[in-house]
Amino acid sequence: MKQRENWHLTDTLEYEHGRGDPFAAAVRATRMPMVVTDPSQPDNPIVFCNVAFQTLTGYDREEIIGRNCRFLQGPDSDLATIAKVRAAIKSETDVDVDLLNYRKDGTTFWNALYMSPVRDKEGTVRFFFASQMDVTERVEAQEVISQQKELVEREVERRTADLRAALDAKTILLHEVDHRVKNNLTMIGSLLRLQVRSIDDPVMTAKLDSMLERVDALAVVHRQLYQSSDISSFDIGSFAENLTRDVVGASGRTNITVSIDAQPLFIDAADASALGLILNEILTNSIKHAYPDGRSGCLSLTVTNVDDRGIICMCDDGPGIPSIQRTKSIGTSLITRLARQAKAEAIWTSNSPGTCVTITFPKREAAK
Amino acid sequence: MTNAMEVLIIEDEMLLAMDIEAMVEDSGHHVLAEAACLKEVEALPDSLRPQLAFVDLHLADNSSGLDVSRLIQQRWPDSLIVFITANVSKIPEDFAGAHGVIAKPFSHAGVVNAINYLAEGIFDPPPTTSQPASFRSSPHLRERWATN
Repeated sequence: MKQRENWHLTDTLEYEHGRGDPFAAAVRATRMPMVVTDPSQPDNPIVFCNVAFQTLTGYDREEIIGRNCRFLQGPDSDLATIAKVRAAIKSETDVDVDLLNYRKDGTTFWNALYMSPVRDKEGTVRFFFASQMDVTERVEAQEVISQQKELVEREVERRTADLRAALDAKTILLHEVDHRVKNNLTMIGSLLRLQVRSIDDPVMTAKLDSMLERVDALAVVHRQLYQSSDISSFDIGSFAENLTRDVVGASGRTNITVSIDAQPLFIDAADASALGLILNEILTNSIKHAYPDGRSGCLSLTVTNVDDRGIICMCDDGPGIPSIQRTKSIGTSLITRLARQAKAEAIWTSNSPGTCVTITFPKREAAK
Repeated sequence: MTNAMEVLIIEDEMLLAMDIEAMVEDSGHHVLAEAACLKEVEALPDSLRPQLAFVDLHLADNSSGLDVSRLIQQRWPDSLIVFITANVSKIPEDFAGAHGVIAKPFSHAGVVNAINYLAEGIFDPPPTTSQPASFRSSPHLRERWATN
C-alpha cells in the first residue's frame, strides 16, 4: 500500500461522529500527548488537545485552546530548532525535532515533537497534527554520555602526550647509554692492546691477546646489534662470517684459506654475546692449535638451520687436539658453560684430519 | 707491505688515538701527526703529505669531524678520509666528501683489515682483496674502486 493513501486505512470503519467516533476516542485517551492546530485561523491556534498533553504541560484545556504552540517555549529553547518547525509549517511538510519546552510551573522538559499537515480531498492543508513525547531522560543521558566521552577523550589525549614524552625521554636515554657502552668497549679494547704492547713475556702476551680477542668479539656483537634496525634479534649467520674473515684476515696468515657457506640466521639478542664469544673461542682455538708455526690449511664455516634449531659448524684440517688437553683449557670451559647459558649444545667431532665443532642452538621464533 | 702510508689521526680520546697509532704503525705505516680538534688540524703545517686520515666525528672543543673532513679535502685533496665513529648514522649519505667509515667499537682485526685494504687501494688500486666487514666505503670511493 502506498504511503499517501494511508488515510484510507480508516475508511473501512463505520463510525458516527461525536462520542462514538473510535478515532476521536483513541486520540482523547492515548497516553501520547497530542494537539491539532488550525492554520486557517489567525496565528494557527490549537483547536484540540488531549488529556495526556494537559498532564505533560500542566496547563488546563481552557488555557491551551486558542493559543499558538509557541507558548510552551522559553528562554533556553533553541532558536534554530524553532525556525525548523516554523519552516516546516510554512512549506506544509512533516517535521521531527527535540525541543526544550516549559511547563506551566516553569520546569523544563525535552519534547520529541512530531508535526505533520492534515490535507483534505483537494490536498489543501486543513489542520496540523502534533504528537509530543517527554524525552528528557534520553536527552540528558545523551548529554552525560557526550560529556563523559569528551572527558575520556581529553584524558586519553593527555595520557598519550605523557606516554609520548616518556618514550622520547627513554629513546634519548637509550641512545646515551648505547653511546657510552660503545665508547667504553672501545676504550677497554684500546687499553688492553696498549698493555699487550708493553709486555715482553710471550706467555703473558698470548693470554692477554686471547683476552683482547674476546673483548673484540663482544665489541663486534654490540656494533652489529646497534646497527641493525631490530634490536631484539641478532643475525648470528652474518656475524660468524664477518668474524671468521676478520680474525683470519688480521692474523696475516695468508696460507689459511677460508671456505664459508653461511646464511642469515636470527637468534634472540639476549643470546648474542654468549654465542658470539663461543664462536670466537672456536675460531681462535682453531687458528692457534690447528695451524701452529705457520702451518697451512683450510678452515670451513657452515651456517644452516634444521627446523627450529640453528647449526654452526666450524672445521679445521689440523692435527686435532687430544681431548684431555681440550678439557683443561679455559676456552673449552668457556664454550661449554656459555653454550648452556644460551641453551646451545657444543659437540667436538673428528674431521680426519682435524676437528669439527658443531654448535646447535634455538632459532628466534618468527624471525624477520 | 713495502709501501708505507702517511697517516693522520684526528681523535680526541687519547687512549683511542694511541691504540689506532699502534695499529697503524704495527701494520707498517707511518703516523704523520695527531690532532684532537679542528683548531689543531688547522695548525698542522702545509708541508705534510697525508695519504690517509682517520677522523672521529665528535672532537674536542665541540668541533666536528665533518668540518675536519672538509678542511682536509681543501688542504690535502689527495688524502683518503675515513671516519672512525660510534655515530655512523650521523654521517650524511655522500659522506660529505669523505671516503668511508669504521664503526666503533672497533676490533683489532677489523681496523687492521681496513688498513690493509686501504693501503692496497692507495698503492695499487683497485684493491683485489674483498672489502672487510669492518669498513664501509662511501659511494664515490666504491665507484672509484669498482671492479667487475
